[in-house]
Amino acid sequence: MTETAIELRGVTKSYGSKQVLTGLDLSVPKGSVLGLLGTNGSGKTTMIKCALGLIRPQSGETRLLGESSWTLSAEAKMRIGYVPQVINLYQWMKVRHLIEYTSAFYPNWNYDLVARLIAEWSIPLEDRVGPLSVGQLQKLAILLALGHEPELLLLDEPAASLDPLARRQFLQMIIDLAEPGKRTVLFSTHITSDLERVADSVAILKSGRIAWHGLLEDLKEQTHVSLEDSFLEMHDESKQ
Amino acid sequence: MRIRVETSSGMPITRQIAAQIRAQCASGVLKPGDRLPSVRALAAELAVNQNTILRVYERLTAEGLLERRHGDGTFVAEHVPTGQMKAQRQLLRQEIVKVAELAKTLGVDAEEVRRLLDDVME
Repeated sequence: MTETAIELRGVTKSYGSKQVLTGLDLSVPKGSVLGLLGTNGSGKTTMIKCALGLIRPQSGETRLLGESSWTLSAEAKMRIGYVPQVINLYQWMKVRHLIEYTSAFYPNWNYDLVARLIAEWSIPLEDRVGPLSVGQLQKLAILLALGHEPELLLLDEPAASLDPLARRQFLQMIIDLAEPGKRTVLFSTHITSDLERVADSVAILKSGRIAWHGLLEDLKEQTHVSLEDSFLEMHDESKQ
Repeated sequence: MRIRVETSSGMPITRQIAAQIRAQCASGVLKPGDRLPSVRALAAELAVNQNTILRVYERLTAEGLLERRHGDGTFVAEHVPTGQMKAQRQLLRQEIVKVAELAKTLGVDAEEVRRLLDDVME
């Protein structure tokens, strides 16, 4: 039996009268690279934050690596990496110091990997975090989330602010890190071409639930159209 | 290895890659006993998920076109099963059907198509 990395059962979450998640079920087996697709405001960020135990759903169960998200142990947290959509890092620190500071939390920090990424992504070590551009901040946040080589990586719109070169490098990094059966990656996006390369499975979030979840190739075998067309089809109001 | 991946197509990436490896085996670009790139290397080269490459290799191994030698890598099988050859012919036939249809629309007769084919194949 494949163990599940992420398990969401009947998750509901609303903000005031606005229902965002309406009984969402999702089970992600270990080792898969799942692309989470949804329109703006469909609840991708809310779902990821519920999965991580950063916000508490009104009902339902959320588990990561076999533990309840709300009471994750320190050991489980060491095996998880997360890059939020809105990146909030210590503005006053120099990049070099922020990396050193973060590495101190993790006994398994991979200095070689981090050094390689710093070079490949041209991370400005001597700059302060505050004035960095959105794209530079995103690279830095990804680097900080990868340093301890997490078993489970959750990325909320990770490539949205990256230039084409950095995006390709980032996608290749994820591909390289996602060894079959070893590391689980969930990333939300609305860029379907990124998802088609990196992900092996796809979950489509619509009306607060997972409207479709499965292997990307199965979706295409069923529909014979591109992922983008499937996605548009599912949201075509005139056909419902 | 020369393989192209088209992400915005309706054909699954696994199928695209499998078809191109089959074609390269049929045309002799890949010869029996040739070693294929590792899953990780091909995934990096094509910038696609490693699971995708793994599934392609597994599928082609099940078809008898490839052989996976434990700890050593993936190779083109020494003896390609005859069913595989038939499948190749079938693939080619499908393409020829398309050419024939196009020729009809353009008003080019069979004789002319044969001549063109001879030209191209030289």
